Amino acid sequence: MLDASVVDRLRSIVGDRYVLVRDAELLAYQSDGLPGYHKRPSVAVFPGSRDETIDVVRALAAVGAPFVSRGAGTGLSGGALADDVVLLGLHRLKGILDMDIARMRATVEPGVVNATLNKRLGPHGVFYAPDPSSEAACTIGGNVAENSGGPHCLKYGVTLNHVLAATVLLPDGEVLELGDRDGGMAGYDLLGAFVGSEGCFGVALDVTVRLTRRPESVRTALADFTSVADAARATSAIVASGVVPAALEFMDNGTIRVVEESIFAAGYPADAAAILLIEVDGSAEGADADMELVRGLCVECGARTVRVAANEAERTRLWQGRKKAFGAMGRLAPNLAVQDAVIPRTQLTQVLAQLHAIADSHGVTVCNVFHAGDGNLHPNISYADGDADQARRVHEAMGAMMKACVDAGGSITGEHGVGLDKLQYMPMLFDEPTLAAMCDLRSAFDPERRANPGKVVPIHSCREWLAAPSLRSASSGDGDAR
Amino acid sequence: MTTMPPCADTPLAREQAGLDACVHCGFCLQACPTYLALEDENDSPRGRIVLMRALADGTLPPSDADLREHIDRCLGCRACETACPSGVPYGHLLEATRATLRGGQAPTVAARALLRVFSHRPLMRAAMALARLLAATPIPTLLMKLPGRIGFGMAMLAATEFPLERAKYRAEGNGENGSAALLLGCVMEGLFTDTNRATERVLIRNGYEMVAAPSQGCCGALHAHAGDLDAARRLARRNIEAFERSGARYVVTNAAGCGAMMKEYDHLLSGDAEWSERARAVSSRVRDVSELLAAVGPQSGGVLPFTVAYDAPCHLQHAQRVTTAPIAVLEAIPGIQLVPLDESDQCCGSAGIYNLIEPETSNAVLARKLDRIVASHASLVATGNPGCLMQIGAGLLRSDMQARVVHPIDLLDASYAAD
Repeated sequence: MLDASVVDRLRSIVGDRYVLVRDAELLAYQSDGLPGYHKRPSVAVFPGSRDETIDVVRALAAVGAPFVSRGAGTGLSGGALADDVVLLGLHRLKGILDMDIARMRATVEPGVVNATLNKRLGPHGVFYAPDPSSEAACTIGGNVAENSGGPHCLKYGVTLNHVLAATVLLPDGEVLELGDRDGGMAGYDLLGAFVGSEGCFGVALDVTVRLTRRPESVRTALADFTSVADAARATSAIVASGVVPAALEFMDNGTIRVVEESIFAAGYPADAAAILLIEVDGSAEGADADMELVRGLCVECGARTVRVAANEAERTRLWQGRKKAFGAMGRLAPNLAVQDAVIPRTQLTQVLAQLHAIADSHGVTVCNVFHAGDGNLHPNISYADGDADQARRVHEAMGAMMKACVDAGGSITGEHGVGLDKLQYMPMLFDEPTLAAMCDLRSAFDPERRANPGKVVPIHSCREWLAAPSLRSASSGDGDAR
Repeated sequence: MTTMPPCADTPLAREQAGLDACVHCGFCLQACPTYLALEDENDSPRGRIVLMRALADGTLPPSDADLREHIDRCLGCRACETACPSGVPYGHLLEATRATLRGGQAPTVAARALLRVFSHRPLMRAAMALARLLAATPIPTLLMKLPGRIGFGMAMLAATEFPLERAKYRAEGNGENGSAALLLGCVMEGLFTDTNRATERVLIRNGYEMVAAPSQGCCGALHAHAGDLDAARRLARRNIEAFERSGARYVVTNAAGCGAMMKEYDHLLSGDAEWSERARAVSSRVRDVSELLAAVGPQSGGVLPFTVAYDAPCHLQHAQRVTTAPIAVLEAIPGIQLVPLDESDQCCGSAGIYNLIEPETSNAVLARKLDRIVASHASLVATGNPGCLMQIGAGLLRSDMQARVVHPIDLLDASYAAD
């Protein structure tokens, strides 16, 4: 628990209303977008400006208090959970500071919602490309922290490829500029290290992002298959053909059904074993030619139908179904284990079969919805609260699925981050020296390890941490034993 | 935190399945006006559902001050429902939570008094007659700039004045599209009497036969929203009887809040063996006036030279999911230039008696709406609910803006009069 004088100091900086200390008020902040994890922050503080944020972080630094930054709390790896430490909510920093269309860049505060930025950019014919499915709620700051992806990252790249510069507040209160607004590069790419650091390297006070011109034409198709294997083969065929789709998404029957029951019903065929949502863009002729090729490949691989959206409204509808699919899983059960792994695209058929076999052997049901084009899987397992045996089986199945993906030559996360949820899988992927090197990198930004303690890298890998018992006791919420 | 045994049989416990549907994805956050205004997840749908769960499982007692504050502060606009992929029935959860918190008592003395007036027809008529008398004097206009609730109340009364000339015409039709009985509504019949008559005229002209349902009364929406589900059920049963007796094919409403309530009489009375089937039958016959008009055309009338922005009442857009019909009504009027209103699907802060209980939040939500109206350059804001008409109308008057509010049906009626 934070000392009362520190809480008073926080109140004097941001105002009483934006410092939460009571149990009831902190309940809402015990989870992020991944249900099933609950950690109570000691205090939640919501600065309303850049200066207030700096003052808050300096006040925490003065007493050595660890903190966890949080945007909209839509993360899917438990990365924004504060276990008895300070929760620093950055959602009130929602200023769009600059939109420089001529230079194709915009500077925003970390709490700006991804879709809000694109709504403002729309009339200028440009957009910010990374489009996580939670775009309607998630913040740019959170996207930077997680190096978020999204369906269109297949062609346009992930968040890292779209961040030009950031003003970063280090955990000790120092402010520095990383990157170069004009896109220049000199010296080590510290911005590259910061993007995807999951809140462990500090707080972004502002982010300058690259803008992309809207393509002249977009074609979106829905291909439906009577077997998962056919859809996987079609994916491989499209990737192998050399066409780079703007997006290539896969949804299986379980996912299709929950979406079709929802307010975002998109007209997906409920009896399909799997569908692919394929988008190509570019010049009108180029997009048409690519779509013809894609259609042919789908049919060759056994697609029952390939339907191209006739207009923008139909296109939006097809996409809304996909983007809200994860949220619709609540129709199955109150809890949801969302996974995020990457596999080589050539292994899609085999790994999907393995995932289903794992689900069957553990007596759980898996729904797959994922970015097939870049091999970024999202197996989701729905389960009920309060059923300890089922929760254990879900947990074990998830571990087995992660292992299957790693064994296939893949990775344990494509875009959701490691956070708390996947901490346990890090040693599957990295040996001790590599994990220790990650700790060393972190030390350059946060030598005291006060920013988002206990996430990303298992603590036992960190040499300095082991050597400094005083730091360990300063942060009771940080440990690898739990 | 100590955990108490969960209350087994509370209105909220009966909605457990609805609570379970939330997977905490957060897609509702940006749809919530109180979250946008107050910037705390406790004032968001996701945060309130966490509080509701804590109440349901006994983690928090009904007396918890934080729990009550954040639940009271919800507008009940249900914009979260049209953002929710999991289909969380948020409106029902809110009503059940409020019913569980205070045993069905509204949070303030003033609100309780007001609800009592609404549920007694003679009292209601007397109160509305007084309000009408006051509205006919210059007093509301003189006092509407006073700070606080008195000034705002006066501005709400002043906003009931019809902004156009009301020319008379005789409505004729063949009744070929079926019979309809109008829910007169407390505020609609009390303060927007002419709009009710206009509703009857435009329906007749569009081929509906109007029949009376004389023993009807308050729909019970305000009582249900406040958590007084027993009073709401009493009022619902009275109306079910009245509209059954009318024999009309449709029950038509021109107040979005009342329409939403009547369409959910089936849910309200689902646990009542004697009434559930009758409630279901009546609910299935309820239509917003715009739905009946859009289903048949509607016929076009004379030219009206106005720039109009449509603001969707929450209980039409989110609760009833009627989104295009009111636009079809406005588009049927020659001469009207329909301009887009940014965030037209967001609440104006009226929310029944909310602006009485939570004036500060209500004003914050209204300010955002007024900004969007200025940006739209509309001279008229059309919206089909009395609360929204008075809330937005009062906001416009108090900030010296030129734009005025009008019910879409009044515009269609004026168009027919100009034909």
